[in-house]
Amino acid sequence: MTVAPVEKVLPEQQPQKTRPQPQHQSPPAGRAERHMVSAGWAFSAPSLLVVAGVMVFPIVFSVVMSLSNVNATVSGFHLSGLTFDNYSILFHADRYWHSLYFTVLYTIGTVFAEIIAGMLIALVLERLKSGRGWMMTLLLMPWAIVSVISAELWDYIYNGVYGVLNAALSPLFGHDINVLGTPLGATVGMAVADIWKTTPFVAVIILAGLVMLPGDVMEAGRMDGANGWQIFWHIRFPLMRPTLSIAVMFRILQAFGLFDLPYVLTNGGPGNSTESLALLGYQVLFVDLKFGPGAAVATSTAVIVLIGCLLFLKVFRSQVGQEEI
Amino acid sequence: MNGTNLSVLLVVLFVSLPLYWLVATSLKGTREVATANLFPHAPTGSQYSTAFSTYDFGTYIETSVIVAVATTVLVLLLGIGAGYALGRLPLRGRNGIMVSLLMISLFPAVALAAPLYLLMRGIGWLNSYQGLILAYTAMTLPFAIWILRNYFISIPKEMEEVARMDGASPLRTVVSVILPQATPGIFTAGIFTFVASWTEFLIALTLNSEDRYRTIPVGIALFGGQFTTPYGTIFAASTVAMLPIALLVLVFRRAVVSGLTAGAVKG
Repeated sequence: MTVAPVEKVLPEQQPQKTRPQPQHQSPPAGRAERHMVSAGWAFSAPSLLVVAGVMVFPIVFSVVMSLSNVNATVSGFHLSGLTFDNYSILFHADRYWHSLYFTVLYTIGTVFAEIIAGMLIALVLERLKSGRGWMMTLLLMPWAIVSVISAELWDYIYNGVYGVLNAALSPLFGHDINVLGTPLGATVGMAVADIWKTTPFVAVIILAGLVMLPGDVMEAGRMDGANGWQIFWHIRFPLMRPTLSIAVMFRILQAFGLFDLPYVLTNGGPGNSTESLALLGYQVLFVDLKFGPGAAVATSTAVIVLIGCLLFLKVFRSQVGQEEI
Repeated sequence: MNGTNLSVLLVVLFVSLPLYWLVATSLKGTREVATANLFPHAPTGSQYSTAFSTYDFGTYIETSVIVAVATTVLVLLLGIGAGYALGRLPLRGRNGIMVSLLMISLFPAVALAAPLYLLMRGIGWLNSYQGLILAYTAMTLPFAIWILRNYFISIPKEMEEVARMDGASPLRTVVSVILPQATPGIFTAGIFTFVASWTEFLIALTLNSEDRYRTIPVGIALFGGQFTTPYGTIFAASTVAMLPIALLVLVFRRAVVSGLTAGAVKG
């Protein structure tokens, strides 16, 4: 597996005028240079140690646990042997495949909807002459709200007896509407709650990117007789790629780790129709206390996310047919 | 009304109607919560007092404030140094470190939950402030370093070089030259860290099971019994929990947006 496409995201990969260039410094700078290097390590060591100790260790442990026979006793954990049993249990379980299918479908659906809607909202707001600042503030609210709270809010809105959605729709249908009662309704209902919370934030990111675009390129396009759509598709959209790819990556990551929303809204139901991989991992680890298979769910989720992001970057890059993203 | 204004109005309604519903419900009495009345007929603060008396919402707020503030301060202290070093100082392997940080932040939280639980159990930090603070610091640091570093490399180098010529140490340079220019980036990293620690659910649910150390999201999720959900009380608590965040966004809106621009577009 190559990491090259991810590296492309980092600004480090683009030629930076500001990058320090040791070779241009005069010879006496040698000691100063060494001094700078040790200062650099002194500055970054605390952070790197914390991340290594509290993130890297758990990640490695999680992967090792998924490949071992785990014996959980009162005195602690005993890992033994190298085995693929944990994974083979998963791969033979319908529940795992359904959860994978649900998570992938949900991620693709919500991220697609959020990026399109976010783009449209950003384009509308860009034309707004005044009050853009207030709009930004309003748009940042759903993002900053605790996701458990937004899940409770939508649970209340969808309530089949006194929910406001039921109050609005039941006269039309002649019976009570319980959105979360069917697998399809629960999935769509959850996606709507997600779209409500995240689209405004995506719009803010895209708007921030749009505002930064150089105006003269679009002016040149207009002079050449391009219409609004052509200017958007051929000039602005390609220029927006870096912003968009970052936004999409973040959304893929978040959507794939989906936990809070189903935990509160549906608890994975009805049946296990809305059980995401993260929720399944939590259930297996902390409810069923099956640590090996639980770690396998978690690790496989991470690997799929990684592959998904790399694939996305590759496709997105080759489709636009240019080098830098 | 032209097309732009109409679309803006639709966006405003889409975003704010659910928020209105949350606040409106929090002002209804328990009986009225079980209706879909668009306005509270007899507005009451009873749900708010229930949140603080029947449930331990005050304690949850205390835990959340302590954990989120401490995490934000720690992440900024650590992240500014690392962001500067990785952006500006001649460290070998900077690229490798940045890519590793990105990879680490890709890892889903559910995969961290079990080993973090064991780690914290090992050092006796389950059901504590410091356990959550340490976990959140590690989880949010990679992204904060990313934002800060991107902001630092967008600052012109001249003043820094002048300071260096004058014999200022790297630490001195950071404190007196870089920090004043990097305030927007620091605000952004700070707000992202604060919001992430304020809203995090899964790790808080796993590490702290005692009521005394529950954070707001966990506390709210566990309001009520197995068969009833006290929506009115939940939304009263939610309204209270939303206030500091709303204030933060209102005051630091510009920092969030400008930091995003530096972080996203340059990234």
